[in-house]
Amino acid sequence: MPDTGHTRKGSAVGANLLRITTVRIIVQTLCFILFLSFVLLTSFANLDRHPGLRMWVSKFIEVDPLISLGTALTTHTVYQGLLWSLVILIPTLFFGRFFCSWICPAGSLNHFVGWAFNRRNRDERIASNRYRRAYQLKYLVLIALLAAAACGTLQVGLLDPISLLYRSFTGAVLPAASMPTGRFFDDPRFYQGALLIGSMLFAVVALNLVIPRFFCRVLCPLGALMGVLSRFAWWRIERDEAKCVDCGQCLIDCEGACDPHLRIRSSECLVCLNCIEQCPHGARRFGFLPDPRDSIRTPDVPRRRAILAVLGGILFFPFARTSGRTTRAFASTVIRPPGAVEELDFLERCTKCDQCIRACPTNTLQPAGLQAGLEGLWTPILDFRIGFCQRHCTACGQVCPTGAIQRLSVSQKLGLGEFRGDGPIRLGTAHVDPGRCLPISKDIPCTVCEEVCPTSPKAILPQRRRHIVRDGIKTVVSATARTVTILQPLEDGTADNASPVLSPNCWQGDGTTAYLADVHHLDGETETHRLAGNTTDTLRIDGSFARIPQAGSRVVVHIELTAPQVDADRCVGCGICETKCPIVGDRRGIYVTAEDETRSRRHRDPDRNRSVRPVRSAE
Amino acid sequence: MDDHTSDTTLTRRELIARGAGALVTTGVAAAAGMLLHESGDAPQRKPDAAARLPDYFAAIDFPQSNPRISIAGGTEDRIGQMVRAAVNGLAPSQGMGAFVSSGDVVLIKPNAGFDRPVRLGATTHPEVVRGLLRMCREAGARRIIVTDNPIEDPQSCFARTGIGDVAREEGAEVVLPVRSGFREVMVRQRRPQRAAGEILEHWPMLFEPLAAATKVIGVAPVKDHSLCGASMNLKNWYGLLGGRRHQLHQAIHETISDLAMLISPTLVVADGTRVMMQNGPTGGRISDVQAGGRIGRPVVVAAVDPVACDAWCFENLLGRDPGTLAYLEYAQRKIEVAVSQGTHRFGRCDWREYERLGQIASSGV
Repeated sequence: MPDTGHTRKGSAVGANLLRITTVRIIVQTLCFILFLSFVLLTSFANLDRHPGLRMWVSKFIEVDPLISLGTALTTHTVYQGLLWSLVILIPTLFFGRFFCSWICPAGSLNHFVGWAFNRRNRDERIASNRYRRAYQLKYLVLIALLAAAACGTLQVGLLDPISLLYRSFTGAVLPAASMPTGRFFDDPRFYQGALLIGSMLFAVVALNLVIPRFFCRVLCPLGALMGVLSRFAWWRIERDEAKCVDCGQCLIDCEGACDPHLRIRSSECLVCLNCIEQCPHGARRFGFLPDPRDSIRTPDVPRRRAILAVLGGILFFPFARTSGRTTRAFASTVIRPPGAVEELDFLERCTKCDQCIRACPTNTLQPAGLQAGLEGLWTPILDFRIGFCQRHCTACGQVCPTGAIQRLSVSQKLGLGEFRGDGPIRLGTAHVDPGRCLPISKDIPCTVCEEVCPTSPKAILPQRRRHIVRDGIKTVVSATARTVTILQPLEDGTADNASPVLSPNCWQGDGTTAYLADVHHLDGETETHRLAGNTTDTLRIDGSFARIPQAGSRVVVHIELTAPQVDADRCVGCGICETKCPIVGDRRGIYVTAEDETRSRRHRDPDRNRSVRPVRSAE
Repeated sequence: MDDHTSDTTLTRRELIARGAGALVTTGVAAAAGMLLHESGDAPQRKPDAAARLPDYFAAIDFPQSNPRISIAGGTEDRIGQMVRAAVNGLAPSQGMGAFVSSGDVVLIKPNAGFDRPVRLGATTHPEVVRGLLRMCREAGARRIIVTDNPIEDPQSCFARTGIGDVAREEGAEVVLPVRSGFREVMVRQRRPQRAAGEILEHWPMLFEPLAAATKVIGVAPVKDHSLCGASMNLKNWYGLLGGRRHQLHQAIHETISDLAMLISPTLVVADGTRVMMQNGPTGGRISDVQAGGRIGRPVVVAAVDPVACDAWCFENLLGRDPGTLAYLEYAQRKIEVAVSQGTHRFGRCDWREYERLGQIASSGV
């Protein structure tokens, strides 16, 4: 972890341990390890075995005041554990941005990278840690995000450091680490957009080489929020002008670029306390209620830019919503996790932290690309080609820190017990694609979808389908009690002289498929028999004919096999039919769309009523 | 180099050094190019050679006169004793010792295919698994592996069904399917003939535990199955398949019977404690399940003939006619060929033949 760079004072180990910056490094390391442990622990197996973990794994999001403030603006409530954010918010009012240099795992990562890759000499380090106008950008980002939140779209998660880091670990870092080592997952995990998510983290990390703690100083909206809050701080870095010789030494390791050598910018100070350690003259201390004239307490944000940022945030909302992507022109491929609230409420709550995606046991939950619109970037959607929603699992809702996915019990999800009246939670409805479904389009027996359908009774009905096979109409040449020899009839009804050449036993059938022969006798009577097999020109039936067909009678060969049909009343849209469909292409023979999802039916906004089934009197 | 570049003239030494460097680099590049040069077509990735499965019954000295099927009835709180009675019925003097010897590595293959609780009957009852684990341990098994490649997430399946916990409590290893554990396994050394009811040539299977094992015991619940009629011990081997195995449902009877031919188990045990009578293989409601099926009270069936065992269960537990279950007949036909080739094993659709020969033992039914 980061060092203060010098050990001029006291070489004894004991003295080093007593240094406040050493304590800080230990706290940072522990917090980072804790964060990483929570990420690793948020797997379905752990949550299932130790339900108490659910209280803990979201803690880093829950203590994040930006998430609380953002969701409070969008929903006018502070959801469940988000009250924990006071644990960070209140001390910030007294100590300033201590979170950034003591707790924040993203801050620690940047801190560490900035230290480990630092190749600057003394003068360059001092220059790199001077305040720049660019650092006001984070306040504009914060203002825009909060303005958008006030309008009803929560976008803070795009840049919130905890969400960003969690998302990156889930969607990119762990799968990447798993690829060569085989650790973390039993089978490889797939996350769409992993390249973008991973590249964003890489950029955040790499930019530390251009400007130390680039993300924290320039972009971080959480840091900006805390910067604003720290104007009330009771304690801050204080400079003793009598002792200070303006040597610039305090800038060497300054994390926040807060001008500790001049009037300190309290909104920028990350309370890393390096300047206290670095000052050769003992001119810095973390003082209680210092002279207010010694500091610049408010962030350096020109008013006109702030107004533009507000405008930008406000305009984002109508611009995004005008696409209709969340209402009338919604994408039916956007299937939300079980317990997800209605889409407009969802976009008020989801912080894109992707903890739900981490907890999902089947890998079906994916960070959305642009399917749900730009607004819905990196929110969780289900991809049934990768996985399906497991029937007895409610892990995603258990770890959701903001209530975008409700905490369901299994009986609530399945509509059992006291929830019988509500019925099961439906994610959507399955549809058979007759152009691709094997039994329907290609006479290949299958119905795997029916087999795996988890509802009882099954939502997929096996329908026996019967139709004439290709070149299935033949003319009898001769017959015995159990066989008929046939010819291909010509269009005018007379027999073709060329013998029909069938593959042996091509019409034999098996346990799942039957071939049936309708024999039309010359007098117009018909009888039907199951075929037991065939040679190149002779059909053998199961049993024997009631009347031996005469030459010239007609034989019509049918295939009978089972094809799936969806019972929309029973289907819960879990998508296992789509996952297990043997058609390997990106369009399966059966697929699920969001139509008739439970979460939309609860809000009967005509624009969002996605019902595909006729309204029944019972509802 | 820096001190030389400032000079306007090139020293002899540097000229030689540069020349030598260029020559060496040229040589290395040329050698590497020659070494890696492919003059013909771009090479294709070759699939791994298919592995073979041993005969897990071969080492067993099983008297021809012993019962082939053994049925034990009881109650749901006495499942352990039922398993014991069923296995002992096959080899009255030796019990599990007839099948498992000291030092054996035993693979137990339950059906843990779904993330469903025991009461729904979609998976093997964990107490049946426990009974087998204890008997194997007593018979001296060195190592016991419990494995399955479920339809739903493996970890949740082993957790929810209770099989994972039971295995751990009894000191067995739960092997979850991971990609590296799969390998192509040879089913037959020629192209399968569809007309003869054949489908598999080779297919990825959960080979690692199969290769480690010296004995294999299948232990499957008896269930209705929407596609193939019923899922019992022969269908249970499906759970060892990897790859896109759902494609095989296009020829499910062929596949099940091919697996019946491929895998020659040490023993199979049918779990008739909670029989799923309808809506299989997933079930989902208590009303889909009936204790002991048509028999009306829990039963456990042990058998050395998996085909006859399935036929017996299909008729007596599910109450259906084995003549309608196509894969049984296919399996008998395929196993007959294998038996004629000298492989020692059993596969008979007609369980009543064993009844006539007095080779069905039963207790407590």
